[in-house]
Formats: sequence, structure tokens, C-alpha cells
Amino acid sequence: MKDVRDYNAMSDGDFRAMVRDFVETEYPDIRRYSLSRLHWDEVKPWYRKLSERGWLCPTWPVEHGGMGLTAGKHLILIEEFERFGAARVNDIGPVMLGPLLLKYGTEAQKAYFLPKILSGEHIWAQGYSEPGAGSDLAAVRCEAVLDGDEWVINGQKTWTTLGMDANWIFILARTDKTVKKQAGISFLLVPMDAPGVTLRPILNLELEAEFCEVFFDDVRVPADHIVGEVNGGWTAAKALLGHERVFIGAPRLSASALARLERIARRKDVWQDPVFRDSFVALRCDVADLSDLFETYVDKLRGGHEIGPDVAMLKIFQSELYQRISELTMEVAGEEAGLRHAPDGDTRTHAAAVYLSARPTTIFGGSTEVMRNMLATAVLNLPRG
Amino acid sequence: MSETWQDNIQMIRDSARAIVPADRSLDRIRKARFHGAGYSREVMAQATELGWPMMWLTEENGGFGMGMREVCALMEELGAGLVPEPILSAMMAGALLQENLPEPATTGDAVIVTAWQDRSGSLEWHGGAAGSRLAGTKVYVSGAAGADLFAVPTACGVAVIHRDTAGLAIETQETLDGGYMGTLRFDDVAADFVPCGHVEAVIGKATLAHAAYLLGLSDAAFAITLDYLRIREQFGRPIGSFQSLQHRATEMKLQLELTRAAIEATARRIDTGAGAIERQQGVARCHLRAGSLAMLVAREAIQMHGAMGITDEADIGLYVRKAMTEANLFGAPTQQRRRLAEFLTENAA
Repeated sequence: MKDVRDYNAMSDGDFRAMVRDFVETEYPDIRRYSLSRLHWDEVKPWYRKLSERGWLCPTWPVEHGGMGLTAGKHLILIEEFERFGAARVNDIGPVMLGPLLLKYGTEAQKAYFLPKILSGEHIWAQGYSEPGAGSDLAAVRCEAVLDGDEWVINGQKTWTTLGMDANWIFILARTDKTVKKQAGISFLLVPMDAPGVTLRPILNLELEAEFCEVFFDDVRVPADHIVGEVNGGWTAAKALLGHERVFIGAPRLSASALARLERIARRKDVWQDPVFRDSFVALRCDVADLSDLFETYVDKLRGGHEIGPDVAMLKIFQSELYQRISELTMEVAGEEAGLRHAPDGDTRTHAAAVYLSARPTTIFGGSTEVMRNMLATAVLNLPRG
Repeated sequence: MSETWQDNIQMIRDSARAIVPADRSLDRIRKARFHGAGYSREVMAQATELGWPMMWLTEENGGFGMGMREVCALMEELGAGLVPEPILSAMMAGALLQENLPEPATTGDAVIVTAWQDRSGSLEWHGGAAGSRLAGTKVYVSGAAGADLFAVPTACGVAVIHRDTAGLAIETQETLDGGYMGTLRFDDVAADFVPCGHVEAVIGKATLAHAAYLLGLSDAAFAITLDYLRIREQFGRPIGSFQSLQHRATEMKLQLELTRAAIEATARRIDTGAGAIERQQGVARCHLRAGSLAMLVAREAIQMHGAMGITDEADIGLYVRKAMTEANLFGAPTQQRRRLAEFLTENAA
């Protein structure tokens, strides 16, 4: 049943109670507190529940099927979902493509694609990185050539998160090889069932197939499956990276890692240890300060402002903080740090899961090293090396 | 083996090639994980033929009476090759039991490991016995899943017990590297105890040997990472040409050499008759640095490998998972610092 109240008019307390009641009564019988991503088979009923309630896209405007939440209300929603341990759904559509289409898409694209994201008919994947284009993303070589009224795509993408669950993928494709590398890239939309698309899952360090390689062999899509101008994809891509960095910069990962650290510290009997507390309190302040910084960026997004290169600060601080918490967690866990599965079956006290889960955050969505270079040049205006 | 320790070390490093391939291929290691006990009984038998579990058996008891320098050299090789067999634990059993080490453990017909630790976050080993019977628990026993015999040091002496003994329950938990850690629960089990006055010293020596394993592991993971920095290109240059990565690589090198120097010096001091307090402090200091080093190299290796670093197919991940499994055994860094702080108080008093 779609809920069409004006959420922003509710008191924070009422809104929180409503969210809590919803997640507690409606969350399906699937895993909670999982640090690894759930696949579509498992998470689908939760996606559907959110979709039916109209809560899948909290940040989209109400007229496009979103909740139109203010930053404060959105944080409450996230906090309550986190507290309950609700799984993260396949959110590339709601978080990445949706906002991009709202900004750069044609009316026809909005009318066609947005409702299918909201209903769960289209599950999206992101095709950005390639074997030779990681940190140096603008070096993408996957090529698209216009042949009559179709794009013909050849090349490879990699590190496509949950690509095996998606039925659509957006890609950055090389459409002009004769110009500066950033100026010859287009943003294309490709159905995964198009002839010539093949996948190879990659096992990650947690031994789960969370991402995959995607190969394109003479894949044909209609000419209108492009977002923005031909060769104008880099602008859209950068805008999305800005969104992604705000999203990765959200304090929820660090906050839940801190809660896990507390549980493990209690389990290992160091919760009262003053040496531990000294470190814990410092991390706790870091999480609180991160939340404040995060809110300033959410406000910018909400106000329709561009996200500048300074968002790198948010991304760097959150991902490194998450890692620092996970490192202390490993030390506190002692010998149990080496266990493959949670001790006593309580996933919320598994140290290795949070350590491994924290590793990619300083790599994906712009590595810390590249982010710092970007800050030095684009924000501090220092000379390029 | 009556040559000098330098000759011994060269021999040991050469003999290690039988189990750790010279080209550092990890094919065997990759296949061994998550299967059976997580290690190979055949390789354990081979290690026994090479005499490794008898390194700390005195010569009159049929062993080699090796010093710490030799043992650390061996452990470094084993760490570099990520060898999963519980060789150190078998070595401890020999050191504790001496002439009472069961014959099958010296011929390779049986695998013996040492179950010494009483509880989490503590290096206590006196528990596990009541009167002259085994009663209680021993935790975090590496290699327990495939072991036939357990050497169990307690306040009443060291017992040897077969895994099938009535009253012994063995619980195993999978570890990240693809092996198991075991918990042994004794429900009033009759046992013969061999008196042993040097349990503390054996645990200390094993802690140093374990630090050497972590050093070998870190050194190999660092070498692989350096190779990647030289080969991987982004922005039209090898990523190793970027200064921020160069600075961090040099920091790893510095920590590696500090660890190596500390371990070599501590091993030498132990071999040349250092007193108990000097030994204990040296061992804690070495393990503190080696445990921290292994985790430093693990996280930097992942980061510098970029997304490749978080795949299971890249070998660097095997080092990361091993570091995560091993770094806190024989005392996590927190515990080593706590131990070292105790000496401060003792010195002042």
C-alpha cells in the first residue's frame, strides 16, 4: 500500500516511530546485519516491500515516486534501517541512475525508466571500471560506434557490483578516440539480455561473488539509449561519482562498525579497559563529526547544488574511519579475529567480516590516493605533479 | 648437526625448499585450504622426515637441539610460503616432552600438536588439570582438526592424549585461511603427566618463532606488492612511480627491517644465555612488532593492488587472510603491550 503522507511535516519522533514499525513488521525472513551484499534472489521481497510502500527512493522528488525527504528525515530512515539490520537492496537504480536521469535524462527516458526502477522490474548495474581504467577512469576503452540507428558496443567492464543480478547496465563508452580522453566518452544504457553480453563472476576476499566482469561483443542498442550528449558522458559520469561519494561518505558504515566494536569489546571483556576506552571515544567523536559533515553534503544534494571535488574529503574520512574502526576491532577480537564465521553464530560479533568489508571502501568510487591528489589540485589549487 | 649456527641456517633454508617451492608457487596452499583439516598429513610427515618437529629435542633425546636463530630462519621460510601445517605446534610438543615424545610423532606416522592456551586474551597455560586428571579447556589449538595426539601442558605436568580418548571433546571452528582452530574440552580424563619445568620458556620461544613466521609472511607479501607497483600502469605510468605510494612502500620496508633486526637480535640473545626477563621482554617486543607489521602489510597490499587486491584469485589475498588468522595468536598487540607494561612495574618495584 503506497504511503503518500507529507513526511517532512511529521515530527522526527513520529517519523522515526513509523519507520521503526514498518521495518519491524514488514521486513521479510531474510538475513539481517549482513556486511556482504545480498543477491537479488534473497533481497527481492524487501525491495518489493519498499517499492509497494513507496519508500524505495527516499531522496527522489514525490512527483517522480520518491519520498522527497529532507536530509534530517532521510538520516532517521537510514538509522532505523541500520538499527534493525535491514539488508541493502540492489540500489544502483534508486541511488545512481534515477538521480542522473532526473538531471540529464530526456522526458521519454524518465517516463520509461523511472517507474521500472521503482517497481523492481529493472535492476541496474554500473559499468565504469575496466582492467586498464580504474583510478584512471577516463582511460576507458570499451568502444561504441554508431551504425545507422544503433550503437555497436565492444569491450569489457569489471568490478561490476552485483552485475549478475542486474538486467540493465549503464556504461561509459569510448565514442571518440581522436580527442582528449575525457572528451570522447558517452553514457549508454544497455539491457543485459542483449545478444553479445556475457558475464564472469569474480570471487572477492570474503569468497563471495559480489562483483563480475561484463564483456560486450558486437552488442547493439538503439541510438536513443544514450544519456546526455554524444561525447558528453564524462560530465554525467562525474556527477554520478559525486553522488556515489556522498553515499559512500554516509556515516552508517562507521556507525554500525562502531556498534559492532562495542559488542566485541564487551564479549572480550575489554569494554571497561581505560586504554580501549581512550581509542573508542576518539573513534566515536570521529563518527559524530563525520555525520555533521555528511549532512552538509546531503543538504547540498537536496538543494539541487552540484557536488564539487571537495566531496573527496567526506569519502576519504569515512572510508578511512571505517577501516580504523575495523582495525581496532580485529585487535580487540584477539584470537577470534581469525575465524571465518562469527563466533557462536552471532554475525554481529564477527570481526573479520567488518575488516574485509572495510577494505574496498578506500579503493572503489575513487581510491584514497586519487582523491587526495584531486583535493590537492582541484581544491587547494596546488600544482599538478 | 654440529656445525655453526650459520651453517645450520643455510641447511635449514635449503631443506625448506622441499616444502616451500623456490618459485614461491602457492598452488598447493590454495588447494589445501577449506579441504579436510586444512593441511596435508603427507606434508606433515615430510616435515617430520626433515626433522623439523625435533628441532627443539635435545641431541641426547634424538633431536637437533637447535637454537632460536635456526628455528626463526625455518619459520620465516614457512611464513613466506604460507605453510599451513602445524609444524611450530609439533616443535613445541617435542620441546616440552623431550624423551617422552611418542615414537609415532618422530616417524611421521602421527601428527602431534600442543594445546597450551587456557583462555582467550591470555597466555596462561596452567589450567586443564585437576588432581592427576585432565579437566577443563584448552583453546585456539592450531591444527587440531587433523591431529592424532595432543601435548597438553598443565600445572600438573605435560600430558599426551590421543584424539579418540573418551572424555575428550574437540570442537573446531573454521579460520579465514582455510584451516581450523580447535577447542579441547576434557571431562575428567585419566592421563599420565610428565613433569616439565620449562613450559613458560617453550611458550616464549614459540612466540618468537611465530613472530618469525609473521615476518616471512609479511616479507613475501611486500615483495609481491612491490612487483605490482612496478607493473601496474595508470595515468600512463607505473603506479610505483607515484610518490605517495613510494613513501608508504618505504614505510613497510622500514617496519620489515625493524622486525627482522629485533627478531634476529632476540634470537641471538636467547641462544647466548640471556636472562628470563630479557628473554620475555624481547619476545613480547618482537611479537608486538611482527603482529603489527603483518596487519600493516596486509592492508597496504590490498590497497596498492586496488580492486585486484580484494579478489580471491589474486595470491595477495592468501597472505591477507593468513595474516588476519595468525597475527593475534600467541598474543595480540594489545596483549603484548600489556605484558611489556607489567615489566615496567616490576622494574620500578
